[in-house]
Amino acid sequence: MTLLAPAFLAGLLAIGLPLWLHRLSSTNPNRRAFSSLMFLEPGEPRRVLAKKLQYLLLLACRIAVLVLLALVFAQPAWLRSPAAAADADGRLHVVVLDVSASMSHDARWSRARDAADDVIDGLSSGDLVQIVAAGRIAELVTEPTDDFAEARRALATIRPTAFRLDYGQLMRALDGVVRAASRPVMLHIVTDGQQTAMPARFAELAPSLPATIAIHGVADEDDANWAIASFGGSPLTGELTAEVQSFSSERERRTVRLEVNGETVAQVPVELDPNGSAIVEFDPLELAAGANRVTLSLEPRDDLEFDDTRYLSLKRPEPRRVLIVAGGRRANDDLFVRAALETIDTLSLDIERIGVGGLADRALADYAFVIVTDAGVLGASDAELLTEYVAGGGKVLAALGPRANALGTVPVTGHTLDPASASLGSRAFVSISGVDGSHPAMRGLDGLRSGKFTRYVGIVPAAEDDVLLELDTGAPLLVERRIGDGRVLVYASTLDREWNDLPVQPVFVPLVAGLANHMLGGAGFSSEAPLGSTLSVRALGMEGGQIFDPDGQRALGLGGGTSDVVLERVGFYEVQGGGRTEVVAVNPDPRESDLTSVDDGTLERWQGLGFEADGRVDVTTEAGEAVAVPLGAWLLWVLVAALLIETLVGNWHLRVRRGIAT
Amino acid sequence: MSATAPQHLLKPDVLARLSNLDLVARAVVEGFLTGLHRSPFFGFSQEFAEYRAYNEGDDPRFVDWNVYARTERTYIKRYVGETNTHLVILLDSSASMGYGSGAVTKLQYAKFLAATLAYLASRQHDAVGLIVFDDEVREHRPPSTRVGQLHAVLHAIDRAEPGTGTDLKVPFERFQEFRRGRGLVAVISDFYCDPDALLKGVQPLAYQGQDVVLFQLLDPDELEPKMKESALLEDMETGETMEVSPIYMHSRYRERIRGHIDALKKAALRAGADHVLVNIAQPLDEALRSYLLFRQRRGLGA
Repeated sequence: MTLLAPAFLAGLLAIGLPLWLHRLSSTNPNRRAFSSLMFLEPGEPRRVLAKKLQYLLLLACRIAVLVLLALVFAQPAWLRSPAAAADADGRLHVVVLDVSASMSHDARWSRARDAADDVIDGLSSGDLVQIVAAGRIAELVTEPTDDFAEARRALATIRPTAFRLDYGQLMRALDGVVRAASRPVMLHIVTDGQQTAMPARFAELAPSLPATIAIHGVADEDDANWAIASFGGSPLTGELTAEVQSFSSERERRTVRLEVNGETVAQVPVELDPNGSAIVEFDPLELAAGANRVTLSLEPRDDLEFDDTRYLSLKRPEPRRVLIVAGGRRANDDLFVRAALETIDTLSLDIERIGVGGLADRALADYAFVIVTDAGVLGASDAELLTEYVAGGGKVLAALGPRANALGTVPVTGHTLDPASASLGSRAFVSISGVDGSHPAMRGLDGLRSGKFTRYVGIVPAAEDDVLLELDTGAPLLVERRIGDGRVLVYASTLDREWNDLPVQPVFVPLVAGLANHMLGGAGFSSEAPLGSTLSVRALGMEGGQIFDPDGQRALGLGGGTSDVVLERVGFYEVQGGGRTEVVAVNPDPRESDLTSVDDGTLERWQGLGFEADGRVDVTTEAGEAVAVPLGAWLLWVLVAALLIETLVGNWHLRVRRGIAT
Repeated sequence: MSATAPQHLLKPDVLARLSNLDLVARAVVEGFLTGLHRSPFFGFSQEFAEYRAYNEGDDPRFVDWNVYARTERTYIKRYVGETNTHLVILLDSSASMGYGSGAVTKLQYAKFLAATLAYLASRQHDAVGLIVFDDEVREHRPPSTRVGQLHAVLHAIDRAEPGTGTDLKVPFERFQEFRRGRGLVAVISDFYCDPDALLKGVQPLAYQGQDVVLFQLLDPDELEPKMKESALLEDMETGETMEVSPIYMHSRYRERIRGHIDALKKAALRAGADHVLVNIAQPLDEALRSYLLFRQRRGLGA
């Protein structure tokens, strides 16, 4: 029993009123003076007793009415345990069918279907069943229904996907199903218990709301799989490398076939030891101009086909010249940014470094972009040269270092500097708090908050500027301004460790790569994407373009309301726009290839996280431990009855007081 | 003057508005007598009856000096109803007399009645005396025809307040201590007492030649209580309480109070006294009429 609005119990204080009034009435009845008691006789004992009884009964009725009134407002609810509720109303059996890529293994899928059918067969009348397909998302295939035949038909329509399943995310998704349920829920999770699907923390497997968990394992340790674990290559040299992995206890011989733009160019036999792997290296390819579609297949195919093929898009980049203007107070303030650029070989950059004053000797138009490590070192003539360069379509990344502190405005862009806004206050450092994830240069950057900024230069951005990064203080860290056909990115701190430690964070290289890619205009387009990720034409710098799926069907058309496409199929997606054509190779998550399952003990412990297993309270909310059955309607009827009784008793009481024969 | 106006004036609630007891008595008597002239009692009052020789002890005020001038003899002029007797009023001022469910209490009504009787007797040239009592004598004015006696009696009546219990033996004993010949004794009380005890008190007076009239004053609520619900009634004299039901008050109580009244009547009859039941909601003339009838029957003039 619980109260949904216990504050209304304060209304019980009103009981004091009838108590007080009755006490007043009993201590001070209808008393009056009379000449003499000489001819009087006391009332009949029976009537006096009846009056007292009626008096007490009336008082009890009145107190009961007030208590019931307070309780009605307090909304009492009867908490039934899920088991008790299930006994009374049946349960909701949610059949969660794992449709991740690993379940596409022929034998596993067959066993999973049988297990799901068995669950439905075992339901009793009064139970409800709901079918959920658990892949990239938890898809509600049916609503809760008592039509088991319909559930079986829905079950037959489900097919395994190429997506990966994470059990932790699955349980969070199932919380919504449990929350919406009106009766105790039993989660029947039909899965292969894949080891790689387990979350980092075991506690993430616990349902947030009470639900009984039943794991129906369909894995078999004899299930074998051979997969292409990885496949990569250099677009510059055409060298390709693949790793073939065995998830079998048997020695196996397979053939790896390489296709480029639909033509088989190589077939390599591979000897695979039990649970071993083999590296396959191909001779350098002669890549054609533009995007090359490279497909690697493992033959013969096994029961789990999704990982027998991997796709790779290779686009031979044109070498681009990049100029770094360094040489502030520290001679090596370009060390980190230069090293980052050199590691991005897919961009095929030709990096050239000059010191202060060297700009005049360079033909800036020959450079794809220019990086200035401290804009404060630029002289007036240098700034003028860069302004002309940008106006002609050039791109500049200008960092503001110690020398820039003396400036009133940023060279080239003319941004006003505001030293006051660069105060950290009482804090030792600030971090990046805002990222414009829709900007092409910021795509896929994680961990930017890890950088600690001890100093930065305050910039006052204009309305037309794009603020790509923002600090905790609200101050802009990276601002982009378009000038003519070119653009300037102003970075309000140093590109080395002088004022921050971002250069030594893992995210620094992707950040520099993104910025460089952006300044190159997408020349270094990343051609791989995992299945289930989102492809944005805006992020590609190809707004207004079209996207075609692996079958050549238009996945995103012209003039569509959105610029994003979820990559739901493996293969090559083609992006057309801005006079360019890019090819994105979409591959499934290789973790699905590992068919290793968790042990039975782990599955049992997972089941034990259910509500009924051990009465656990740490993962269930107080209100959600049991099924709350509101009693308000019943109490209202009782209240009405109490009022009627009070009226009758009150009337009787008055008759007794008046001495009317009853 | 119409006959209705004086009758209206005799109503207790009207009299209660008159602050002066003397005025009350005068208004009652004058109004009563005015109405009386149109009644079978015509001839009462100040009508000439006879002359008789002046005897020692007679009030010189009643000597007819015109006759004396003509005959040089002193004669007393006598009127019809003039009895040359005395009236002693025994007024009960016990606590129970303080009860009243209407405009006046029994004691107020008793005061009106006593004052009226005193005034009436004074007009008859009777000596008027007063004993106010509860469980003891509170005021005592022996009967006298002296000038100012009436006012003294009226003031004594006016001072009477509800006291404690009732003991009828006390006033009767006091009366016998100061009795002076044959006379009238008017006892005004609610008579919440044992009729036999009353008989014992009244009987000696009757044997001594006193004419006793008992005015029993009761409130309508005592005669016919109209209780609607059970009540805790408190005895005004003893303070005792008792919870009684309306059923009892509507039936058994009425029988018992009627039985008590009848018992008092019988006791009075046996003692040679008159018993007059007075409902204090009724006008005073009923009581006065009873008084005059009583006088008439006792041969004291009418």
